[in-house]
Amino acid sequence: MRRFRRVAVVAMVAALTATGLAACGGDGDDSGDANVLKLWHYESANSAMGIAWDRAIEIFKEEHQGVEVRFERKAFEQIQQNAGMIINSSEGPDIMEYNKGNATSGLLSSQGLLTDLTEEATKRGWDKALSPSLQTTARYDNGVMGSGNWYGVPNYGEYVMVYYNKELFAEHGVTVPTTMAEFTAAMDTFVAKGVTPLGMSGAEYPAGQLFYQLALSRADRAFVDNYQLYANPVDFKADPVRYGAETFAEWVGKGYVAKDSASLKAEDMGTAFISGKAPMIVSGSWWYGRFKSEITFDWDSFLFPGNTMHAGSSGNLWVVPETSKAKNLAYDFIDITLRPEIQALIGNNGGVPVSGDPATISDEKDRRLIENFNTISSQDGLAFYPDWPVPGYYDVLVSGFQSLINQSKTPDQVLDAIAKPYQDGVAEIKRD
Amino acid sequence: MAVTLTTRPRVTRRAGDRHRRGVGRWIVLVVVGVAALAMLVPFAFMLLNAFKSPGDYSTNGPLSWPAEFYTTGLRTYWEQVDFPVKLWNSVVISGSVAVLAVVVSLLSAYALGIGRVRGRLWIIGLFLLANMLPQEALIYPLYHFAKEAGLYNTRLAVIIIFTVIQAAFGTYLLASVLGTFPRALLEAAALDGAGRWRILWRVVLPNIRPTISVLLVFFFIWTWNEFLIPLVMLIDNQTQTIPVALASLQGDRLMDAPTTNAGALISLLPAILFFLIFQRTLARGITAGADK
Repeated sequence: MRRFRRVAVVAMVAALTATGLAACGGDGDDSGDANVLKLWHYESANSAMGIAWDRAIEIFKEEHQGVEVRFERKAFEQIQQNAGMIINSSEGPDIMEYNKGNATSGLLSSQGLLTDLTEEATKRGWDKALSPSLQTTARYDNGVMGSGNWYGVPNYGEYVMVYYNKELFAEHGVTVPTTMAEFTAAMDTFVAKGVTPLGMSGAEYPAGQLFYQLALSRADRAFVDNYQLYANPVDFKADPVRYGAETFAEWVGKGYVAKDSASLKAEDMGTAFISGKAPMIVSGSWWYGRFKSEITFDWDSFLFPGNTMHAGSSGNLWVVPETSKAKNLAYDFIDITLRPEIQALIGNNGGVPVSGDPATISDEKDRRLIENFNTISSQDGLAFYPDWPVPGYYDVLVSGFQSLINQSKTPDQVLDAIAKPYQDGVAEIKRD
Repeated sequence: MAVTLTTRPRVTRRAGDRHRRGVGRWIVLVVVGVAALAMLVPFAFMLLNAFKSPGDYSTNGPLSWPAEFYTTGLRTYWEQVDFPVKLWNSVVISGSVAVLAVVVSLLSAYALGIGRVRGRLWIIGLFLLANMLPQEALIYPLYHFAKEAGLYNTRLAVIIIFTVIQAAFGTYLLASVLGTFPRALLEAAALDGAGRWRILWRVVLPNIRPTISVLLVFFFIWTWNEFLIPLVMLIDNQTQTIPVALASLQGDRLMDAPTTNAGALISLLPAILFFLIFQRTLARGITAGADK
């Protein structure tokens, strides 16, 4: 018996070691000749982008007979953490989705890891298909977005809007507001009836985005250039930043935002809206698909009333690593994703296409989502996100507006607290 | 022939009845029971939410009873990440590491604990650094080495790395166990003409086998749960392990709690099974030497 067990253990050990070693040899490499396109993205299969890009891959295969597409769906976390290491090796993809922004695509472009797409962009007309504020996140100069060469091509856009529960609006006799005054009047109606009008999350991005929306109601493109692209110094003690913080505090004081939302996560805010507890939330188009599939009551969205500038940007980018072995195929694929058919697919599945034609969108709600985006885009109104300018600013904003929600600090103190890291960060970036 | 130290357990439970009386015993039982229940609460939530549809979860929250028995989440996860491949990868990596690390630990601990190498305290201290250093600090050097050696994106890279890391701990533990190994036994074996190699396999190994089994189980489970190094080293879907696959359910700004729960449930089962199978060994190992 004991002998038998020993034999079994030895056999298991040998087997494991052998398979372990043998299994590692494989992973056949394709040597340069471009009949394989290795493509990675991290959108889930049933999301608007996932569906549209699946179709794009099919079209690509039809048009490139004999080319094998090796598609792998990656974890967001994995690309976020390791993109630099992955594409600096020979094991990386030929084309991949990557996050827009200075800390991600900007950084890799300045390290020479991404292919310059400028020539293709002009040749294939991508520069005309995308509006100027969408191009901002596609072009990087020494790692700073806004100008310079093309290093990525966005396929979809995103923007912050107001989602509202139509049934609660009808029940309380509130109509869709189109100006800031109507908006606050609507919220007063809810407060008078004991309903907190705005769902909020103080522990994550929503608070900072609401503040930014409020500041943007007094802002123009020049402010956004100053704040996001460091064209000129930003005075945090003057409008529009001051207005944003003070109005935010005022809204908390008036009960538009629940004081106990300081510790809530974005997920809590989303589920509060889905379960019909919050009449409105101010948040981004990334919720749209989920709301569409999970909400059982009647709901819709409208643009943040009165603003011409809105938090939002292009979505993530298609980038072509410098190590790509099939660059021309990658360019072809990007081109396919910008075609009307694919753009319409994104729109029809609850995404925001970058060059979507509302006429091709069948669902009324989807059409409004895209029309609103096109409105913002055509008036050059994408103002990006408040935490973008300097590294680590996200946490600064979260803690700042958390203390406004629970009223432990005055707007003045919060402005001081968020001004210094911003100024230090910008000084740091300018020194490089 | 194996020389075994463990004598048959002598009957020492003469005053056994003393323990069967009194409230103290019941209080302990209740406290342990409550603690066990508290440990089970997260698992209960996972189980509850694994069978809930996303809409149900968002509307009624994580505490509610599922409106329907929803298994799409489980199926989505299984298909989306190609679970059998990940399971195989995890088993190969954890299994190989557990076995190799135990062998390496045994050999180096034999040298350090029985061979009494000069300055062994420092050597063990150095080994332990491998465990004490945060993996984030190791990751870039490891990446460059792996790339230079052509092992980046292979399971072998992860196996080698974890064999070293786990063996560091194993060496530390086994060296101190072997430090107390009865000299008389070794001398007797040497007198009988056994060489060093023979002593290791015929005298030392059989006596510390319980400890080694425990190490094997620990190494397997620790490696199974490792996330960062596999995440960095294994970039192909074909080479990834289960924890990395689980992470692929997490989006940028969105999360899908029910599917994540379903994934966690499926991913947990192999580790639980492994533990149940080896549980006997584990219990034996912990009490080994208790009656010395």
